[in-house]
Amino acid sequence: MINIRLLRNFDVGLFFITLIICVIGIINLYSATINIGTEVFKKQILWVSIGLFITILLSLINYRLLLRYASHFYIINILLLVVVLIVGREISGAKSWLSLGGIIYVQPSELVKISVILILAKFYHDDFSAGPFGVFDLVKPFALIFIPILLIVIQPDLGTAFIVGLISISIILFAGVKTKHLIFLVIASCVLFVPLWGHFLKDYQKVRIMSFMDPSQDPLGSGYHAIQSKIAIGSGKLSGKGFMQGTQTQLRFLPEQHTDFAFSVIAEEWGFLGAFFTILLFFILILWILDTSSRSKDKFSMFVCFGIASMFFWHTVINVGMVIGIFPVMGLPLLFISYGGSATLTSLIAIGIVMGIRMRKFRLSESDLSFNKY
Amino acid sequence: MENYTRKFLVSVFILFLFFSILGIRIWYLQILKGDEFEKFSRNNRIRNIRIAPPRGRILDRNGKGIVINRSSFDLYVVPSDIKNLDTLLSFLSQLLLIDEQELKRRIYSSYDSQKFNQVLIARDITRDQLAILESRRDSFPWVFVEVSKIREYPYGKLGANFIGYVGKTTKSDLKEYRDLTGFDLIGKSGLEKSYQNYLQGSPGYLQKVTDAFGREIKSSVYKTDISLKQSDPGSDLILTIDLDLQLAVEKILSEYTGAVVVMNVHNGEILSMVSSPSYDPSIFVKGVESGDWKKLISDKNYPLMNRVTRGLYPPGSVYKIVTGAAALEERAIDTNTRFYCPGHYRLGNKIFRCWKSSGHGWVNIHKAIVESCDVFFYEVSQIIGIEKLYKYSKLMGYGAATGIDIAEKYGISPNKSWKKKRLNKPWYKGDTVNVAIGQGYLSVTPLQVAVMTSSIANGGYKITPHFVKEVISSKGQQLYKYKNNKKRIGIGDEYISVISGAMVGVVNQQNGTAKRARLENIEVAGKTGTAQVVALDSIKIKNKKYEHHAWFTSFAPANSPEIAVTVLVEHGGKGGAVASPIAKRVLESYFKLDSQYSLQ
Repeated sequence: MINIRLLRNFDVGLFFITLIICVIGIINLYSATINIGTEVFKKQILWVSIGLFITILLSLINYRLLLRYASHFYIINILLLVVVLIVGREISGAKSWLSLGGIIYVQPSELVKISVILILAKFYHDDFSAGPFGVFDLVKPFALIFIPILLIVIQPDLGTAFIVGLISISIILFAGVKTKHLIFLVIASCVLFVPLWGHFLKDYQKVRIMSFMDPSQDPLGSGYHAIQSKIAIGSGKLSGKGFMQGTQTQLRFLPEQHTDFAFSVIAEEWGFLGAFFTILLFFILILWILDTSSRSKDKFSMFVCFGIASMFFWHTVINVGMVIGIFPVMGLPLLFISYGGSATLTSLIAIGIVMGIRMRKFRLSESDLSFNKY
Repeated sequence: MENYTRKFLVSVFILFLFFSILGIRIWYLQILKGDEFEKFSRNNRIRNIRIAPPRGRILDRNGKGIVINRSSFDLYVVPSDIKNLDTLLSFLSQLLLIDEQELKRRIYSSYDSQKFNQVLIARDITRDQLAILESRRDSFPWVFVEVSKIREYPYGKLGANFIGYVGKTTKSDLKEYRDLTGFDLIGKSGLEKSYQNYLQGSPGYLQKVTDAFGREIKSSVYKTDISLKQSDPGSDLILTIDLDLQLAVEKILSEYTGAVVVMNVHNGEILSMVSSPSYDPSIFVKGVESGDWKKLISDKNYPLMNRVTRGLYPPGSVYKIVTGAAALEERAIDTNTRFYCPGHYRLGNKIFRCWKSSGHGWVNIHKAIVESCDVFFYEVSQIIGIEKLYKYSKLMGYGAATGIDIAEKYGISPNKSWKKKRLNKPWYKGDTVNVAIGQGYLSVTPLQVAVMTSSIANGGYKITPHFVKEVISSKGQQLYKYKNNKKRIGIGDEYISVISGAMVGVVNQQNGTAKRARLENIEVAGKTGTAQVVALDSIKIKNKKYEHHAWFTSFAPANSPEIAVTVLVEHGGKGGAVASPIAKRVLESYFKLDSQYSLQ
């Protein structure tokens, strides 16, 4: 199953880009958290180390196993989401954390990104028609997406629910939807939203959704964040204030500086050059994954890679867009740059999957495809 | 996979487009507007200023202000900006006459300063202090003054015992009221506390961009992010209190220690409630000086206690209304049943005395109430027993909440199981004898007596005493209105009228105990009570502490009752001699005002 000879084909490029982004993230976290101690910094090093190990390991595993077990992952992930609603721990307002021995906390909702990508890729792989698809073809994928998203909304971790939705929609649009049916779907989803809003959501969840959509309702929270973040970025100018010299960061005017607003720290301390370089790396990363997707020899790996590319794309666009003030403030991390064990692990798992696909440039054999009937 | 080629091209195009937008925006912020933001990050601060909402007003039934608001200049400091702490402390110490250590504590010990940058140092500074502060403004840009609204009491002590006072919000208050900060004032007692949710309003926010010198600046780059929300003033309480009557009653009671309550017998509206002595709630507004507070709580006359709702007293003969009604309703007696009163009553080897040692002779229920014969009720108590008496005591509202909208005590209405539970002793027949005339383990509040009196006056309905008629929001919307739901207490009409007839006799018959409560044109009904503080009535009373409490409860006009007036004078002596003249003056005031304008 694990084929060491494959290492000849090791995707050095993707691994290298990922490594650079992770290192930038870690260095930046050091500056962002030095005032509150080095614990966050050390933890992130640990997460990245574990993650990179998993990445290499995953790249050596034949991805057809992912196809074989996609449904299993999906169901286990759903069960974890249910478990977290019952015994989960609430941190900053969302009951989305599972305690592992009371020391490590993980978010099953982060893993949903991978599970949903795999299950959708499996769906389109199993379907031999080439699209575009009509409404009735989409009932099953929509149901597959809807269940985890609903469970995440209940937590409520709206940022993650939102990103899972975006990734899913990206994959579905990529697979193709008939134009008329697409218009119908947009209208129907707007109509469906109303009873969902009225019956299933509790008041505090509504309030969270409202302030998610319209942050001006919380002027002292997100409004304040938005101003301070813009000041931090703008004042970085061309070459930045220097590592650990950012006044907005070090004097703690910048909120959430090691999580959602970590990119602002880069922009303040490393200036336009640092900020531009960072998003350029993300651009190359996503382009690389899209390239892998386009070279795929089967639909499953193509859709998996496309889904992962869209995950990085939406995380980057929304997070950076938020800190530079073109998107509302919503709690969504910049992958590899923001601190967070579950998000980092999930992202590195995703990279590992893409690397594994790129390393196997042969088409799945008929015997591999027979796993579908399992 | 060929049919996906076009889709990949579109994807790459979208990727390029979005990242270009990000890049251009970063370029705009850092290169084009970089200098402006740099200046900002060097000098400028954003201050989150909270706009405290004015508290709702408390008005009388005719809309006259009992508690209103006035402007206050409040001094704030932004602790994170302070550059010369020692100079600041000595300056403020001289200006405000507050100890430097205390100032330091106020600046740094705030438990609610994370969300807002400012810390309240002193409320309601004078105009002179303000002028001095303004002249030194440039030296201390981290000190600023905001105008807020604080409580004003145009009538001083008036109604203080039921209106209550406001004070500093505590940590536990903050958990309950999320909108408040540690600097806000919160209702601590009385109506201010019960109606906190209506009165408090919701705060507004203001974000100011200031330079390092505390001057506000305006610039285009962050204009859209700066937000302002005006505060929502609290809602006004419209009380059932009549201000003019309240003024009159406070004046009448001012020389006594005691309680008076005037209540509409049909709907429980409290027209006036006075507890004497009282206190001045305005001393709490600025934050009480510890000396004042100690004086108030250690005062032996308990000025902070509302005697009407929280004062517990034995009801004395006033309670004979309960015993009489119980005996009639239980058919233990009828209006013709007579007992002989020789001036005392023998139970086993124990002698219970009537207040009139020469005796009342043959007595029926009417005469027993009119002349307040103890022996009649001793006899009755042995027929009905304590459990029946207890049942009617409960029906009349004793030993339970009246449901008034401020804090109240329940008192004690004893029975066998109560005594067993509380004192772990069996019930004796002698205990029943004592309870029958309102002594023994009984304890009641003047408000409970007024509620009972109202039930007799209105023909046997239970009413809920209340202060708040309606709540009107700052936008003029009615948020709450009292709804009257009176229920029968469970005593027949014919028995109620026997009791009320006897109560007319108490005031108007030649040998009634409350002749001093008679009015010229209006027939008054009432019942006196003289409650023993200590059981040793044989001891010659010298110490005022052991003097009896004087009760008088009444309603008028007797033929179509409007109001109930209950009076209690602590250690006042005999109810007929002391309490009934006070009730008369209260009734006079009411009917005089009533003829000027309708109090109904």
